[in-house]
Amino acid sequence: MSAWLIAACLSGCVVSRPEPTLPPGAPLPGETPPGETPPGSTQPAPGPGEAQPPPSERPPAQGPRQFRLGPAATALVTQAHAQAGSGEFGQAAVTLERALRIEPDNPLLWIELGRVRLGEGNAAQADAMGRKAVALATGDPSAQAAGWRLIADSLRARGRDPEAADAEQRAGTLSPH
Amino acid sequence: MALYVLYLDLLVTHQFEGRRWTLPAQVYAAPLELYAGLALSPAELEGELQRLGYRRTTALDRPGTYRVQGERIDVALRPVRFADETRTATLLSVVAGPKGLESLRDGAGQEVPVLRLEPLLIGSIFPIHGEDRIVVTPQEVPALLPAALKAVEDRKFDSHHGVDPVAMLRALWVNVRARQIEQGGSTLTQQLVRSYFLSTRQTFTRKIREAIMAMALDAHFTKADLMNAYINEIFLGQDGDRAIHGFGLASQFYFGKPLAELDLSEVALLVAVVRGPSYYDPRRHAERSRARRDLVLKVMAEQGIVKAEDASAAARRPLGVTSRPAGAYYPAYLDFVRRTLRRDYHDQDLTEAGLKIYTSLDPRAQEQAEHALERELARLDRQHKRPEPLEGALVVTTPQSGDVIAIVGGRNVGYDGFDRALDAHRSMGSLVKPFVYLTALESGRYNAATVVQDAPIDLKLANGRHWQPENFTHEVYGPVPVVRALAESLNLATVGVGLDVGLPKVADTLQRFGLPQPPLQVPAMLLGAVEVTPLEAAQLFNGLASGGFHNPLRAVRAVISADGKPLKAFPLEVSQVASPEAVYQLDRMLVEVMERGTGRGARAVLPAGLTVAGKSGTSSDFRDSWFAGFSGSHLAVVWVGYDSDEPTGFTGSAGALPVWAHIMAGLNTSSWEAPMPEGLAEMHIEFPTGLRVAPGCSDDMVAVVVPGDASIPAKPGCSFPDNGNPVTTILNRAEQWLRGLGH
Repeated sequence: MSAWLIAACLSGCVVSRPEPTLPPGAPLPGETPPGETPPGSTQPAPGPGEAQPPPSERPPAQGPRQFRLGPAATALVTQAHAQAGSGEFGQAAVTLERALRIEPDNPLLWIELGRVRLGEGNAAQADAMGRKAVALATGDPSAQAAGWRLIADSLRARGRDPEAADAEQRAGTLSPH
Repeated sequence: MALYVLYLDLLVTHQFEGRRWTLPAQVYAAPLELYAGLALSPAELEGELQRLGYRRTTALDRPGTYRVQGERIDVALRPVRFADETRTATLLSVVAGPKGLESLRDGAGQEVPVLRLEPLLIGSIFPIHGEDRIVVTPQEVPALLPAALKAVEDRKFDSHHGVDPVAMLRALWVNVRARQIEQGGSTLTQQLVRSYFLSTRQTFTRKIREAIMAMALDAHFTKADLMNAYINEIFLGQDGDRAIHGFGLASQFYFGKPLAELDLSEVALLVAVVRGPSYYDPRRHAERSRARRDLVLKVMAEQGIVKAEDASAAARRPLGVTSRPAGAYYPAYLDFVRRTLRRDYHDQDLTEAGLKIYTSLDPRAQEQAEHALERELARLDRQHKRPEPLEGALVVTTPQSGDVIAIVGGRNVGYDGFDRALDAHRSMGSLVKPFVYLTALESGRYNAATVVQDAPIDLKLANGRHWQPENFTHEVYGPVPVVRALAESLNLATVGVGLDVGLPKVADTLQRFGLPQPPLQVPAMLLGAVEVTPLEAAQLFNGLASGGFHNPLRAVRAVISADGKPLKAFPLEVSQVASPEAVYQLDRMLVEVMERGTGRGARAVLPAGLTVAGKSGTSSDFRDSWFAGFSGSHLAVVWVGYDSDEPTGFTGSAGALPVWAHIMAGLNTSSWEAPMPEGLAEMHIEFPTGLRVAPGCSDDMVAVVVPGDASIPAKPGCSFPDNGNPVTTILNRAEQWLRGLGH
């Protein structure tokens, strides 16, 4: 089963999927896109005559975004796929943890790590990492959908089929296959 | 007599053959990952290389060297064993610009996406009697070392039979005449015997016994075996409880690099130290050890081991010892490592089996943290002038991974004593308040704008006594919004909210976030009558910093056996302990603590524009001063107080906050900018009243995040773009703003 999961991952996961085309001016990883304000930032209230709205008046941070991996994380994910493909799940996880230390907020990496955990039979961790990914992926429907699919698979692996179907449905609503 | 000789022969050969050096586990810091885009300046990269004992040269002649050519730094990396991979010696070219690393290429000019430097050896776990060593093979020993040892200590080593009677007599004569030790009478073999049997009594019978045993050893073993044993056995320094044995460890201890990389002057210094590691301690007695090093160099030249000009060039070099010994200087961190491993390993495994332990320690963060604590405590001591010095402890983590990257257990960082970060159980004071309000948010009955009563409280306790808490200012604030109650750490409002949601619920929240013991469910719990260590406080806040996900904090990543087999891994684990929505709402309020509440003093120290979230804590009578807070990539918890539990006279904001701010400012950290979960809305309220306002109709407003369906009473007279719910308000503004872009 695990080999299948990895195979599925290799065909559909982050690195090997076609490079997403970003709309002009879309954010690069680690950059704050124009108009997107760090939600924690608090600015002084504007004086009456100020033309520029303060950042907190701009649209909230959920403008459509699309997570991607930087070159370092991409290389590590490729390496992790090779390790997982030959059954070395522990090694693959260690490699993905290296990537996560470089991009700790990238949901795609949490999904990768969750897939490896699922591959080695740790469905509970896979589920938790799926949820972590969904939380981090706010504003990126396709990454959120991938997170829900991971949750669905990990629920199914534990025989919780009705919940898995719900999770699958949430994924489908966010981003149809 | 013959029987006695036979007995000694058996004893010493048995000792030699059975000699498996007990190998203390070696502990490594986290390796630095290099990749294009990493914010590391050329100077910082060079600093990292020097920390690892890399030497700057003009020609990359051997591993362990680097050269700088404009913006490019070429590094001859040493072979290295990571927890998960072995790498041979390799060349690396790094182009480092002012904004960080621009590119990495290998020796063949190929782009390298990511590569880690070798991990820094930060110490070892040695047994009670304190013998620490790194065993080297003959291949790892520079040829100069045995030659120099022979020249200085034992010229006839290759030909004698374990003892050298002529040398003994001559030494006696020379030493008496010159009144200084120019030549030792004992052969290397005799010194080895002495070291094995740990006897330093200078008696005649001991000398005889030693001589017989040396001859026995010489008869049974090759000179090469004896030389290798000597190089690994001999005592070369003392570092607190730790005895530095063997040249392998001595090289790391004095120079911070492998023995194989030592140059002539460095080899000569170690040979000089052999004669008296305390008397010739190069850190304490630089002049004296330098004179002896130069003498060793002179003898080496006289004996034809090196050319006279090389010897005099080496004598012109500085001693080259590192300012502080590698390893054992992070006792609090190593303490945590030891305790983690004690669950799985016996002491003996750790002190004898040659394990390699890979940890998450970040040497830069650790040093920053040590300096910040020492500097700020010294300043506070000057201000407060008490007979007892203040103490402090702190923990730094990277929240998403749960890695503990720095621990300081006290002011005297090199002292391997009471580890306050792990063992000081102190009242958490107002650090508990975020968990009270998180519980309130989770109940669905509260949000940041909910107006709560800050009113006098008089509770009759089970023991018949009355509990009448007060605010820090002894004032009563009346109706206040939750965001203000938390930002200003109002006690009465918090107790009111906590009693309303229920003590069991608050206790449950604390336990979900990792409090190891169930707290005593008394009302005073709501004001922090809960004892935690700084490490436990870090565990609790780590969950707030990572969006409601709990990661068991870990120092150890992996343990590898002496022959390179992975023994144990401590993988990243997460579990969701609170809803991301509730934690996000709370975290936004903790940002306000830093902007306008008890944490605002940090602003002056932190880089402009860095968004952080945090909470101060002061326990009753000012006995404990806490600050816990996080950025986007780091969490730090600081405790300041007296060991005697005397009141400090200052709050968390005055004591722990400046330490915290200096640590954060030094970390090169990123802003907290978690994405706002769906279903929440940002709006403005008036800070004193909690009424919804529009920009321009209040002098004192604050942005808060509340559930999208929350209805917040509007301030009378404020005109809003529409009177609908806040979500549509924001969408309308978004639309206006987007239209504005078109022009």
